[in-house]
Amino acid sequence: MRPLRAFRRPLSVAAVAYLGIVLVAVIFAPLLAPYDATDGDLDHVLSGPSALHPLGTDNLGRDVLSRLMYGGRVSLSGVAEAVLTVLVLGVLSGLLAGFLGGWVDRVIMWLVDVVLAVPVIVTLLVVLAVVGSNETAAMIALGVLGSPLLTRVVRGSTLAVRQELFITAARVSGLPNRSIALQHILPRIAGPIIVQASIFAGAALLTETSLGYLGLGTQPPTPTWGGMVADASTVIDQQPWLLVPAGVVIGLSILSFGLIGDALRDAGARQAPPRRRKVVAVASSEAKPEPGALLSVHDLTVTLPRSEVDTVVVEGLDLRIEPGEVVGLVGESGCGKSITGRALLGLLPEGGQVTRGAIHFEGRNLAGRRRSELRGLRGSGIALISQEPLSCLDPVCTVGRQVDELVRRHEGGNRKQVRARTIELLGDVNLPDPERTVRRYPHELSGGMAQRVLIAMALAGRPKLLIADEPTTALDVTVQAEILELLRKLRAETGMAVLLISHDWGVVADLCQRAYVMYAGHVVESASVDELFDGPLHPYTAGLLGCAPRRARPGRRLPAIPGTVPDPRTWPAGCHFAPRCPMATEACAAAAIPLFEPATGHETRCIHHTQVKGGENAAVA
Amino acid sequence: MRPLLEVEDLRVRFDQLIAVDGVSLHLDRGETLGLVGESGSGKSTLGNAILGLVPVAEGRIRFQGEEITHAPPKRRRALGGHLQIVFQDPYGSLNPSRTIGYTISSPLRVRHRLDKREATERVTAALARVGLAADAMHRYPAEFSGGQRQRIAIARALVLEPELVICDEPTSALDLSVQAQILNLLLDLQEQLGLSYLFISHDIDVVRHVSHRVAVLRRGRVVEQGATRQVTEQPEHEYTQTLLAAVPVPDPHEQAARRGRRHELLPS
Repeated sequence: MRPLRAFRRPLSVAAVAYLGIVLVAVIFAPLLAPYDATDGDLDHVLSGPSALHPLGTDNLGRDVLSRLMYGGRVSLSGVAEAVLTVLVLGVLSGLLAGFLGGWVDRVIMWLVDVVLAVPVIVTLLVVLAVVGSNETAAMIALGVLGSPLLTRVVRGSTLAVRQELFITAARVSGLPNRSIALQHILPRIAGPIIVQASIFAGAALLTETSLGYLGLGTQPPTPTWGGMVADASTVIDQQPWLLVPAGVVIGLSILSFGLIGDALRDAGARQAPPRRRKVVAVASSEAKPEPGALLSVHDLTVTLPRSEVDTVVVEGLDLRIEPGEVVGLVGESGCGKSITGRALLGLLPEGGQVTRGAIHFEGRNLAGRRRSELRGLRGSGIALISQEPLSCLDPVCTVGRQVDELVRRHEGGNRKQVRARTIELLGDVNLPDPERTVRRYPHELSGGMAQRVLIAMALAGRPKLLIADEPTTALDVTVQAEILELLRKLRAETGMAVLLISHDWGVVADLCQRAYVMYAGHVVESASVDELFDGPLHPYTAGLLGCAPRRARPGRRLPAIPGTVPDPRTWPAGCHFAPRCPMATEACAAAAIPLFEPATGHETRCIHHTQVKGGENAAVA
Repeated sequence: MRPLLEVEDLRVRFDQLIAVDGVSLHLDRGETLGLVGESGSGKSTLGNAILGLVPVAEGRIRFQGEEITHAPPKRRRALGGHLQIVFQDPYGSLNPSRTIGYTISSPLRVRHRLDKREATERVTAALARVGLAADAMHRYPAEFSGGQRQRIAIARALVLEPELVICDEPTSALDLSVQAQILNLLLDLQEQLGLSYLFISHDIDVVRHVSHRVAVLRRGRVVEQGATRQVTEQPEHEYTQTLLAAVPVPDPHEQAARRGRRHELLPS
């Protein structure tokens, strides 16, 4: 949101100008006021506006203008106390509820509901009765009672922001919750907070003046705006004018707070918070890690909530990555490739859970661990880069600050050392002129440069495994070629393994040594890329290879696969591909198909794998 | 015979930015001209200019011999029966609150003043052509997958029986297997109806597959144009060579060899 845009409308400008004048007059009352607030001029009692007393005098001959200026000190400082209380309580509780969720959220929201049910004026009267005429106590109580509204707004905004990819990116790189909340979330939700605070300020002023009018709070002879209205009402038949100055000042002030709030809200309307679901702990399994493998996944099964029902989206997935190996995970959208990548990092979307299986990374099982335990691993053990590089960067921080943060997190060091390492990292990913790039904001970068920055951020923790989720899909082909080249170079230099998630056969052929093909939640085939492209042993692999226009005769019909990838809720029994498969028989739909290994290191989930043909139309020009 | 579409020295400006900078091309009946280029090359703007969606600064567009560069709105609306478009985004391009039948038939009812029965017949025929059952008419876009929506978008273009369909990245948002289905459908329709396509895409493999001729765009200019085989196998312009070398080939052996050659082309 851009607060400045809010103040282009003349009405908002007038509101700001008015409040500015009032504030200056009130703050500098001792210097600016023509008279002392309590000095009576008995020669001019209840006079209208005159040269001597611009706004007239009251029943004791005191100057109304001076009393307004001094009275504002009480009223406005009361408003400030209430607003400050609301800000502290509301922002803190809202951030905690929205960001942590779970029982913290439930307790806070329960408290919010309780406080909202408390009648404000009655409570204030009780407070004043107990503590005496202590204005500060009353205003702090008002702030406490008013804070639930801000809590709700902050919680809602936090929920929306924490869904954004750069928050995920921050998590992946292993940042603690506190830094994510303060550095990434708070600046993004400042808009709604300011709006809420200014609207509350209007309400607080109204309450404060009401208390003054009732003779509660600050006592005479100290002037208050509410007290002045009360005084004026007693002499309304002798001098009606006396009601005008205080009434107008109060009315305009409340109106101005409201106008500023509205203008800010209109300038930065935010979307409604998304539905929240409980995060469920993951299940573990007894499986042993495979010796020698950097990552070995056994029988991984993942569910996601779909229309309120937990639906299996990845089923019985086995995967193995050797140190330094580049492995592809290929398939169409809806096959579960990205979910698999997220599951490895413990970063499933809200409500997603690993219900079965083991994920061994360097011999340790990650399945069943809590998020806090996984955090240490993210970034330094496993890093992630994803498809939309620009949305993974925080738009309000410079590139340098975002990389610095991770370098500091992973390696520590003073500011100079951190920045030096940042510049080195940006140089490693072939960004031109790293010294200048650190000062740039994400919007100044092209898609290719942003992806390089994200790769640099991924490298900050010197990971042993990089999960690259469609890293070049959003980029132009010439930029894609550069990014693929960069990944190849970095793998050679650092020896890190790469899990490349892609739907593009060309990218897989270019970068990967081995590949897994996924269809509707299953791995249907895995082999070295040479064997996979030359002699696929699953009809889906063969069919999908046939769909690549490059492998077909130009102008001729492509050997398309009929139908579409089924929704996880409608997966068939037995082979998931059977309904679209030209070779399907009754046996295919009868029972779940196990993995066969017709050749060493080449597995397929097809009972007809001996009859699969697909290598022969590899007619590459 | 005159070409169906002729574009001469076309320029399109957005404020200071020259999006299309002196493009000339032509398209015959029953022919597909592929327009390939990276983002910002002006390929979509060129398509929009031909459709009159963006104002033309300089140059000429002739359709069936008639100059339509600055055709008045009334003539433009009539041209809708001859010139159609299929967009990239199958989600955004259909009104979610209208039935498919309503969306496809509204130009027939409004412009051609067909009665309900005739319009329904035409819509049924168009849906059948793209491989959808007639009952799709009564359903809403949300009930269809991306591939089906793209079929619906093609049916909407075809129902007016146009000569030229501008396909603006029609398969970019689709999965590989669905892309193959849609490309096959476009090839079939061309054969059956003698359609001409201006096929705009960033994907050289797709353009190569469907096009008779190809024009390569870069920063609003055509850097190379010619028969598909000629341009994709013996590219003359350096940019075309770079572009072709950058596309990874879905064959690991071939790709390894190409990588080697690319390194020679780009000593970086």
